[in-house]
Amino acid sequence: MTELAKFIKKERQTKSILLMTHVIYGYPSIDESLQMMKTLLDKGAAILEVQFPFSDPVADGPVITKACHVALQSKPKLKQCIADISALAKAYPNARVLLMSYLNPLVQYGFEELGSDMSGNIAGIVIPDLPIDHHKMAAPLVAAKVNPIWLIIPGMEKSRIEFVSEQAQGLIYCVSRKGVTGQGSDSQSAREELQRYLGEINQFTDVPLALGFGIASAEDVKGIVGLVDVAVVGSAFLRAFQQGGMAEFAAKADELLSVK
Amino acid sequence: MSDQGYFGQYGGSFIPEILYSSQQELLKHYREAMADPSFIASVKKEMQEYSGRPTPLTFCPNLTKQIGGAQIYLKREDLNHSGAHKMNNVIGQGLLTKRMGKKRVIAETGAGQHGVATALISARLGLECTIYMGAKDIARQYPNVFWMKQLGATVIPVTTGSQTLTDALDEALRDWTSSYEDTHYLIGTSCGCEPFPEMVAGFQSVIGEEVKEQAMAQFGAMPDKIYACVGGGSNACGIMLPFVGTDTELIGVEAGGRGDGPGDHAKRFNTDQAKFGISQGYATKFLQDDQGQLAPTHSISAGLDYVGVSPILADLGDRGLVRMTSANDEEVIAALKTLIRAEGIIPALESSHAVAGGLREAAKLDSSQRIVINISGRGDKDIFTIAKALDDKPFNEFLHSYLAQE
Repeated sequence: MTELAKFIKKERQTKSILLMTHVIYGYPSIDESLQMMKTLLDKGAAILEVQFPFSDPVADGPVITKACHVALQSKPKLKQCIADISALAKAYPNARVLLMSYLNPLVQYGFEELGSDMSGNIAGIVIPDLPIDHHKMAAPLVAAKVNPIWLIIPGMEKSRIEFVSEQAQGLIYCVSRKGVTGQGSDSQSAREELQRYLGEINQFTDVPLALGFGIASAEDVKGIVGLVDVAVVGSAFLRAFQQGGMAEFAAKADELLSVK
Repeated sequence: MSDQGYFGQYGGSFIPEILYSSQQELLKHYREAMADPSFIASVKKEMQEYSGRPTPLTFCPNLTKQIGGAQIYLKREDLNHSGAHKMNNVIGQGLLTKRMGKKRVIAETGAGQHGVATALISARLGLECTIYMGAKDIARQYPNVFWMKQLGATVIPVTTGSQTLTDALDEALRDWTSSYEDTHYLIGTSCGCEPFPEMVAGFQSVIGEEVKEQAMAQFGAMPDKIYACVGGGSNACGIMLPFVGTDTELIGVEAGGRGDGPGDHAKRFNTDQAKFGISQGYATKFLQDDQGQLAPTHSISAGLDYVGVSPILADLGDRGLVRMTSANDEEVIAALKTLIRAEGIIPALESSHAVAGGLREAAKLDSSQRIVINISGRGDKDIFTIAKALDDKPFNEFLHSYLAQE
């Protein structure tokens, strides 16, 4: 079991569910995004996912896409992003920091260098356009103890779930419904179906599971307590910030983190 | 082509997991269809009876005399129904959509030619049709948007990023992630994940196959050189692939735009601003900055204004099997004027890049050599841009008086 998996299992002994929170590096500015990250960590978010902005984020919905384009105006550098969030990871040893990036910025950086620069501070990485079939590209990260976090989606064939499970480390990101991120919260209706879906994944792995896409409120989080270890909150924080700045952002963090 | 849709180091499938099963389904149906003679026959029939194939190979006696070098022939893809080579691909993919039992197609479009072609075939085959088009391109190519709407398509303006083809492609991919059960993503160029590069290039290869037959019939030999403009690369792949590995030299002409600075052109070859990258579902040469962010592009023609290029051409370029050159906006307008006057043929601005590249080199060749320039589309759609570039004042007055009549 990797350090990230151990951390999640340990935290789960006292908490019914952990929150994986999302911030875009550089939105609306680098300083403000770092402030958002600190706010979340100060309020006790267990996992912080920091998205390095990309010009063509095909797996993200319009809210995150537009924010990425705003973030790119401050010309963020991946090296500096890794340095900044590594510093956060050191300052908040009770939380874990993950990087999320589309493939091309990572390809240009080089996976070997990425592994050595992230090692020890950044626990994992989410790469939305790297399919499991190309898992060998991430081998230098695995060697550097940075866990690639693979996706499982509803309707995935058993053999492919098994394939993901064999490669999975630290955390598996289970998508709760079809489509792209940030398009309104799901109803509670499908708990049973969700149970079946997650149950199938649990047959193959004891790596902790995170569930995401469409989780926007404390009620949404409560709805999945007992089903998974981690609730992934994506664009809800971003929308809160866009509606009411840092105050609204902090209020959203309080709301979501109220589920203990 | 190697396994998993690779062309050398380019190609492959780098798509979000959510698209995996629809991609696999498409692959399966595509392979089955291509092995089914009745499907191939239906594509050929539709190409003949709906689009008017074969398109002619036209000798240009006046232009040849004026340039004073090689014998110049044009492959007339402008004479396809819809006025461009795009029709070849949409016929193939449209019939495949029906075969898969899907009811809706989505497509991205730059200049609007692929959008119109998709809307046409959708009307003919009874498919629901949604077209994603950059807001900037809509502003440049409204007449095409007008026709798409008349044909019953829904045109969705894309206002993110550079608001051009690359953003339209992103948005279409997003649509597909939530609609793949009943929707086929009808990509217009030989880019994207497997099997799109191979599939689009395959449906377009009818262009080069016809050139082979027509060249033999008309002058009893293969052409010495073939020129095609390269945006995404589908017309170039179409005319070139049947000639790869033969004695015919293949030359791609990219958009040189208004200069060599970042954002001023759409050249993916012969510049250090483009390098190996992975995005939009596949690996190719992408124009990008040092952080791997895809770069803005410029061309006088919306259809060449693309940040990546067909992985097939990227590989052929690396292997020296296709030579890439470029033509800038000014050369393109000059070549367009030359062809119009000499032969009474109005090429699209995209195709005028191939004309510019071809005429430049034809002058240095001798009269025993024969070149074929692919006229990928006709220029009627570019009337506004061309009138502006030629500074035709009466055209502006016409527009004013037309509006005044409202």
